[in-house]
Amino acid sequence: MIENRYTIKFGADFRVFEFDSEGPKGRIRKIVQYTEINVKDFYNLGFGDKNSLTNQIDDLIVTNNNDSQKVLATVAATLLEFTNHHPDSFVMAIGSALARTRLYRIGISNNLKEIEKSFLIYGLKDKSWHRFERDINYEAFLVQRKKINFVKL
Amino acid sequence: MKAIKSTEKKGLKGFVKSPSLDKYANKVLFKDKVKTANRILKTVGLPKV
Repeated sequence: MIENRYTIKFGADFRVFEFDSEGPKGRIRKIVQYTEINVKDFYNLGFGDKNSLTNQIDDLIVTNNNDSQKVLATVAATLLEFTNHHPDSFVMAIGSALARTRLYRIGISNNLKEIEKSFLIYGLKDKSWHRFERDINYEAFLVQRKKINFVKL
Repeated sequence: MKAIKSTEKKGLKGFVKSPSLDKYANKVLFKDKVKTANRILKTVGLPKV
């Protein structure tokens, strides 16, 4: 999943990332930001389009640039990189609209085996967190990088 | 900081450092999402790991 993705720019401390989506609608700049919330080591994943003329950021826009899988793979790569540098973090992702939350769910479901090698993943349903399962609609997602214990041989 | 240095040295494939993004370091770009995330944590709590 991660292989077919766009080149990613990153800022200080690996909390802000930027990349360009390319498709029939042209080149559209995307921005991803991990923001620490009120609980230590808990971050929100924010993701949206950046208007290159006004620098305004819009996370409600539907771009329709025919590259949603590649865009999701690129966002997933930022998550991997962010958690490389912030390994104890939990990251929450909430879709800005039902359609985007559904897109996240489909993206996770289609790559669940691969994702579960590196992450624990939870979905929010009926006011509690559950281990993620395919074909269940969730309101939000929470991921945590798995700890890898190296054994000395 | 050690981890950052190590990635920069490796020159991770497909990642390019961009100082132009440093201007966002202390800005919250997705305030509504952060507000929602805080509300969820306050009302739902943490997952039982």
